[in-house]
Amino acid sequence: MKRRLALIALGAMVTAGLAACGGSGDPAPAGSGTQAQKFVIYSARDKKVTDYVVEQFTAKYPEYKGKVEVLNMGAQEVLERTRAEKSNPQGSVWWGGTQQGLTAGANEGLLEAWQPAFAGQMDARYRDAQGRWFGEILLPEVIMYNNKLVPADQAPKDWDDLIDPKWKDKVIIRDVPASGTMRSIYASMIQRFSADGSNPQPGYDWLRKLDANTVEYAANPTDLYVKMARGQGVLSAWNLQDILLQAEGQAKMPFGYVMPASGAPILVDGVAMIKGGNTTGAKLFLEFLFDGTLRASLAKDYFQIPAIPIQQQPEWLSKLNLKPMNVNWDVVGKNETAWINHWNANIKNKG
Amino acid sequence: MSVASTTVSARRLSLAERLRGGAGSVWFPYLLVLPLALILWGYVVQPMLATFVESVSEDGTVNYAQFLSSSGVARTSLITSLGISLASVLLCGVVGVAMAFLLKRFSFRGRGLIEAFILVPAALPPLIGAISFQLLYSEIGILPRWLQQVFGAEKPVLAFDDIAGVLVVHTFTMYPFFYLATSAALAGMDPSIEEAAYNLGAGRIRVWRTVLLPMLTPALVSASLLVFMTSLASYTAPLLFGVDQTMTMQIYINRTNGDLPMASTYASVLGLVSILFLLLMRWYEGRRSYMSQSKGISTQRREISNPIGRVLAPIASVLASVVLLAPVATIALVAFSADGSWTTEVIPSKYTVENFETIFSEPKAFEPILNSLKMSLLATAGCVVVGVLIAYAVRRLKFVGRGLLDVAVMIAWALPGTVVAINLISAFSTGTAFSFGQALIGTFWILPLAYFVRFLPLVFRASSASLALVDPSLEEAARNLGASWGRAFVTITVRLMLPGVIVGALLAFVHGVGEFVASVLIYTSSTVPISVAINNRMYSFEIGTAAAYGMLQVVLIFVVMWFSGRLERGGRRAEQWTN
Repeated sequence: MKRRLALIALGAMVTAGLAACGGSGDPAPAGSGTQAQKFVIYSARDKKVTDYVVEQFTAKYPEYKGKVEVLNMGAQEVLERTRAEKSNPQGSVWWGGTQQGLTAGANEGLLEAWQPAFAGQMDARYRDAQGRWFGEILLPEVIMYNNKLVPADQAPKDWDDLIDPKWKDKVIIRDVPASGTMRSIYASMIQRFSADGSNPQPGYDWLRKLDANTVEYAANPTDLYVKMARGQGVLSAWNLQDILLQAEGQAKMPFGYVMPASGAPILVDGVAMIKGGNTTGAKLFLEFLFDGTLRASLAKDYFQIPAIPIQQQPEWLSKLNLKPMNVNWDVVGKNETAWINHWNANIKNKG
Repeated sequence: MSVASTTVSARRLSLAERLRGGAGSVWFPYLLVLPLALILWGYVVQPMLATFVESVSEDGTVNYAQFLSSSGVARTSLITSLGISLASVLLCGVVGVAMAFLLKRFSFRGRGLIEAFILVPAALPPLIGAISFQLLYSEIGILPRWLQQVFGAEKPVLAFDDIAGVLVVHTFTMYPFFYLATSAALAGMDPSIEEAAYNLGAGRIRVWRTVLLPMLTPALVSASLLVFMTSLASYTAPLLFGVDQTMTMQIYINRTNGDLPMASTYASVLGLVSILFLLLMRWYEGRRSYMSQSKGISTQRREISNPIGRVLAPIASVLASVVLLAPVATIALVAFSADGSWTTEVIPSKYTVENFETIFSEPKAFEPILNSLKMSLLATAGCVVVGVLIAYAVRRLKFVGRGLLDVAVMIAWALPGTVVAINLISAFSTGTAFSFGQALIGTFWILPLAYFVRFLPLVFRASSASLALVDPSLEEAARNLGASWGRAFVTITVRLMLPGVIVGALLAFVHGVGEFVASVLIYTSSTVPISVAINNRMYSFEIGTAAAYGMLQVVLIFVVMWFSGRLERGGRRAEQWTN
């Protein structure tokens, strides 16, 4: 008897569930007069940033209230999803992707080319020549250290200090092949010794010494932060924005950074319009993303370095002393896969 | 769930009768199998074939040749993955079967304690669960750090790393497959056979070898398959413990490299190995019959008489419970610790309820939980209807292509979740006959569909193992006494295989609630599952809030387990009463 009751309860729950999703599946009735169509954003940005920006966007364009949907996921997942949905695109905006990921998407014909108003102000290095993607923020890759366990004056000053034997088993690296950021850092370390990329050997030798000092490769950023904070290692190479967010934000992590004396490789993190999506909404949103006031507040609260310089820089940014490393991204782009595969097969855990 | 299958089978039956001959005709198996085969073809096999097609799209079989060369990463990865999977099967088998016997056959002090917590590992949410292992046993873990303090060592003591770490995680999270299958088999087993063997003078080892193990074979085969395939397709454990020469890691790395055909080649080889293992197991199981004519009566538990055992049993129970609860306790610890208060300390220094407040203060906090419940429930209902019928067809009906049907169900389990999701997106991004002309992506339905495709094997295997112990003559007797096929199927066969069905449904539901890798590629803003909500928190490194969400998920799964336990116990009581 009890079982029968339970089965009936289960059946009722399923029915209720079905009824509920029937309701939520219905498209909202078209409002009279408003022309705004719903659009979906695939974002690899922090949910706090996306929530804040969308709130600002709908405040400026009230007709889009409730019509902007943000789906947060990893950068690689944005590419996978956009690629798989090619025959019937569901997303309109790709918000947050590495130069490599965006270029791959552009070459596969997933992105729409256009010329927004802000493109003219942007350095040509930070955008696609055909207008298929645009850099939004710059990510300098710097030396990160645990400032609870390493006093600031003893932290390494430059990249070459990282391979000093005194740091043996003190370095933690976010595992390289699966991370766009780490791949770029490692490729720039190789290109540093060979301008045209023809002789990667000195770079390999350098990375082998770094591997000897590396105590562990972390599985993902969270894993890296946890291991750094708990002192399994005290040094890493990581992007400045995330270091500042973890140190100054809610997490209060004991992280400090050093701007390397020979310069920091600067990665571009960009945005794009997905081909076949809602282009009207996407264009409006992307133009809004490059609005000066918005970028200033994102720079202040989320430590973003805008790809197009802003008028009033927050204090941390004006004191930054950003020194870009001279990296030839074309050379890197051509060789990255081969270099990283070589590193993974012959250098990792062998130094 | 049996309500649903009644209507389906009744409809099919009337159709069968219209075609004359009723359920006894040679056509009947095909009538039952055809719709099942169509479902499998449309939703599972055909979408998954895309992976194989992509693997040979660019340069034919060149990618496959890499597995033959002795120097490459490909072969090393294959061997490592195989080794890890076989070791996992062995370890999970020993732990799971031992636990099932101990708890179902013996009575000792502390038994209730372990039994209450035995399924905790199955309730562990995947993302945050992995972190809790790191925080417990790795070099930064509580245990090694604590041992370091105790012994005054320079480095953390007994830290798990590398393949050993992977095996610990696999054993801990997958032994429930063996435990549940063995318990279900023990519940359906007639104790008189074992007693007869003892009375005829057989020793304990001989009874094990010739009576118990053979009777458990279907359960062990089913669990071995699930553990083998899960370990082979496991991604998080190798990732966290830094074993990067495995098949799944290579799939991910090749996708990041943009070498899609190579990634697909790895996935295809993964699927192929799993299918070979499946065929091997089918052959092994098919060598004899395991049916028993009598109904299952649970045996009386034996008291432990050995005095040493009597003393050790309660101590061991407490220890085992601590081990079982440790990961959940770690999640709770993180959920209640203040952010930033836990760095180099063994355990956090400050505690707070803020993380829970953050969650509850958000207006849409419960939406992901409700979404996950709803989608997982729907998928489980589908899995039960289709899975039980396929199990019946494969075990009981004579038709051409039984093995193919078996392979077809399992193929999705053999592939990593990301690959399954990508295949489903490609297959249902435009309307097809199987989606009733609608594009499923961007709708609610693609998520339950993905859960159905991924977790159907769980229900199918558990039901099938359970059915192997039921003698068909019981159903035949009912038919001879005048019951229709449908009635005999529901009142006799389904009821006798119910322990297995419930176990399968429970596993499918729990996996559905925790599913992440496929969900993140197909969710929409109105169908955010709990795992994505947790991941968003982890991504912004709000581990405290993520853990608080994880705790909610653990509690939710416990409630469901308790509910299904009642369902099962109620079922057994009713059975005894009607018999």
